[in-house]
Amino acid sequence: MIPERPMFWGIDYSWLFYVIAFVAICIFAVGVGIHISVWRKSKSKSNTSISWQAVKQSLLEIVSGARLFKGDIAAGTAHFLMFWGFIILLIGTSLLAVHGHVYSFLTGTTYLAFGFFMEIGGLALLVGITWSLVRRYVQRVPRLERRLEDAVVALWLLVIACSGFLLEGVRLAAQRPGWDEWTALGPMIAGFFPQAAARSIYPGLWWGHGLLCLAFIAAIPYTKLFHLVGAPASYYLHHSPVTLSPDPEAAFEPGVQWDLAQRAFLDACTRCGRCVEACPSAGAGEPLAPRAFVQAARQSLWREERPAGDIRFLLDLDPVEDRSAWFCTTCGACLEVCPVYAAPFEAVGKKRAMLIEEGKGVPDLMNQTLERLFNYENPWVSSKRDRAAWAKGLDVPVIKAGGNNEGFCYFVGCTTSFDDRAQAIAVSFSALLKQAGAEFGILGDKEPCCGDIARVVGELGLFMEKMENCTELLDKFSVSDIVTSSPHCFHTFLNEYGDSSFRVRHYSSVLKELLAQGKLRPQNRVNATVTYHDPCYLGRHNRIFDDPRQVIRSIPGVKLVEMEHHGADSLCCGGGGGRMWQGQDIRGEARMSEIRIKEARGTGAGILVTACPLCLIMMEDALKTVGYEGEMKVMDLNELLLQSLSNG
Amino acid sequence: MKEPQIIVCAKQIPDPEAPFSNVTVNVEKKQVAVDAPDVISPYDENALEAAIRIKEELGGKITILSMGRKVSDTVLRKTIAAGADALVLLEDPLFEGLDSGSTAHVLSCAIKKIGDWDLVLTGRQAGDWDSGQVGLIMGEMLDVPCVSLARSIKIDDGKLLVEKSVPVGYEMVEASLPALVTVSNEVGELRYVARSKMLGLLRRPMSIPKWNSKDLGCDIDRLKKLQLTELVPPADMGRQCTLIEGAAQDQACRLAEVLSELR
Ligand code: SF4
Ligand code: SF4
Repeated sequence: MIPERPMFWGIDYSWLFYVIAFVAICIFAVGVGIHISVWRKSKSKSNTSISWQAVKQSLLEIVSGARLFKGDIAAGTAHFLMFWGFIILLIGTSLLAVHGHVYSFLTGTTYLAFGFFMEIGGLALLVGITWSLVRRYVQRVPRLERRLEDAVVALWLLVIACSGFLLEGVRLAAQRPGWDEWTALGPMIAGFFPQAAARSIYPGLWWGHGLLCLAFIAAIPYTKLFHLVGAPASYYLHHSPVTLSPDPEAAFEPGVQWDLAQRAFLDACTRCGRCVEACPSAGAGEPLAPRAFVQAARQSLWREERPAGDIRFLLDLDPVEDRSAWFCTTCGACLEVCPVYAAPFEAVGKKRAMLIEEGKGVPDLMNQTLERLFNYENPWVSSKRDRAAWAKGLDVPVIKAGGNNEGFCYFVGCTTSFDDRAQAIAVSFSALLKQAGAEFGILGDKEPCCGDIARVVGELGLFMEKMENCTELLDKFSVSDIVTSSPHCFHTFLNEYGDSSFRVRHYSSVLKELLAQGKLRPQNRVNATVTYHDPCYLGRHNRIFDDPRQVIRSIPGVKLVEMEHHGADSLCCGGGGGRMWQGQDIRGEARMSEIRIKEARGTGAGILVTACPLCLIMMEDALKTVGYEGEMKVMDLNELLLQSLSNG
Repeated sequence: MKEPQIIVCAKQIPDPEAPFSNVTVNVEKKQVAVDAPDVISPYDENALEAAIRIKEELGGKITILSMGRKVSDTVLRKTIAAGADALVLLEDPLFEGLDSGSTAHVLSCAIKKIGDWDLVLTGRQAGDWDSGQVGLIMGEMLDVPCVSLARSIKIDDGKLLVEKSVPVGYEMVEASLPALVTVSNEVGELRYVARSKMLGLLRRPMSIPKWNSKDLGCDIDRLKKLQLTELVPPADMGRQCTLIEGAAQDQACRLAEVLSELR
């Protein structure tokens, strides 16, 4: 006897199955189509040619589940099992249909191997889904929500997996094939059923299982399962080099400004909560929940674009307080961990833009800061004429308009220019540049504000104005090469200014270069253990992790130790996203900067080095409020390097 | 009840929040030069915020009244962007440097000319001279109830309900309309006006009536200039930092001592 599986064994009206399957697939397709129609309403145009590179990258990420393993091996494994279980069963079932109707090949050893793989698939699914349920409802992993949708979707899958095995067992009990299947679970279950009983319940069971599976497929676009389609789309859109040309008309309409990729990201979100876990603001007990923002943004987008409303039918979301939008530091930690590349801080940013446009609910200090930024070209209560006060008596070259300026422009930035502590960055960096004999100049009291703060708090109109001012001025001074103190200015020039004609670097890269060229030779030993705090806009946002570390390592005597959160996992100091200018207007249970300084102290380091004026100020303050003065120092990278160079 | 017609008096002044190095005091000429953009006096902005909140609840119309030698409508259009409906500028060389009584006279003439109004709001004092008198004198000239230092204003069933700040807590004051209220900062900051909104508004043509002393029919003989007898610059704002060491309690005691020595 040749082992094989008779199609529709013992099932009447098998054609009905195909009719229902067709209906299910139609429901599925309509749901996906509705999503795509919402995506396509985006006003920014994107190019349509396919990038095979992006397809390859996306496929790799999908197949390996790499983004899911990141930072959470357990969740990654559970998802991996479910994903591959689902895929194997889906492919297997389709092969069965091919075998039955097109070309029969599942016979003999092939059939036995087929059965073996199907069992592996089923087991993977069963283990994965059980594990997920345990994590959510028994271990109660804090980042996981327990909403109706979560229970329904998971139990549905569990029932499908279990009924599949049961069906297999009952079939074997009823069929009594004359060969040994290469499976263990099926025959075991078969042992519980007398043949007659098995024969009578088999058809009912078969239909039950089949309908559950088809309904599941139909439900995909209408539940969080949509990520089966949404996540691959997000991956592709994230990797593809689409040049989005935002509609200039829509520039000031924050609501409709979501581009195609962002729309896909929103729809792909599974409410997994990794962003909540990574968010330093949420971690400090502040009322910001990035996940809630993504979901709220998704809902309002759907409401706007589709009068008939959202098609997700199991969603019950908590309302999001507008006020919480002001807590985000735009640190990017949420994007780093999000399995589908949704950037919750972008959703927060759009909310801010809306609040700014309405004018209501803007925190008082932020309101004043923006007025000041407009009136005095800096967010501090400072006069433009004092911009170069730090350089008094230091003989720092000043760039002249229309002059023949050699070398690069050192763009000091507002905070480094005006804050007492941060001025040390400018003083030590310019000292280093002079020691290295580098050609450079500053803009002195002509230096404008790059507009970063306006952008991150959602005052896009003011940002545009600042950007125009700044570009005009840089043009006037024929500046084509910029080096910034602040990672924030660096990021803004590099990524937010559109097609700018100038080259931008952060000072840490310049220091690294000068060291490599031998123009700076650290000689004095600095006997200290130091740890390095990655500024969000240098590290996470612009992937410069190594340059500052190389500079630190070049100093004789220095031992560099890492904090638990470093590199792409760095923890924000709490000063970004406009938070620096909101003072105590808003705060949570703990300060982010204090959490961070404690982590730094935990490494045993005597010096915390950073490379951003905002981080420097935040960490220095935290050092005092936590009471580590005398035990530990906070230094800028320039200050540390200068110690090993200065002759005094 | 009919929708309230509110008039808000707004003074245009050099930014009182200007950075210190932008301010120069000329003792001989008795002049304070402020190198800063003009803004609306902050308490007047609070008054406007109070007016907008009333309008949000009850509807009605907000008219902004501003007086000076030369008033910039680009500064004052911010009030429109924030939610006011009309702007009336009172411009006349005679209006420069008036004392509080004269200012009140001019503003009252303008309010009478506008005619249909239920409530006049002013800031508790202007951000430049901090006299705090114009509102109260106007109340007298207009012959209406006048409540000062409001921290909250409501109109309920045709009556005015004001929470008036007093050194400890506040008083609830009820008055009939029409009335005049001077508004304190506790009301809340004027809502933020986005640049895009402001730019859009500046591009749009708008008819803004400008009235001079003749249009207002005010009594020119009553207009008196403010006379400055002496101008004393603040002591040099040097910075000196002393760190007080020790246990928290000792630090606090020592700090109290140091502060009282400095007094
Ligand atoms: S935004 Fe990303 S990380 Fe956050 S809940 Fe959604 S899918 Fe998860
Ligand atoms: S950017 Fe940072 S602070 Fe903002 S939501 Fe994301 S993780 Fe939280």
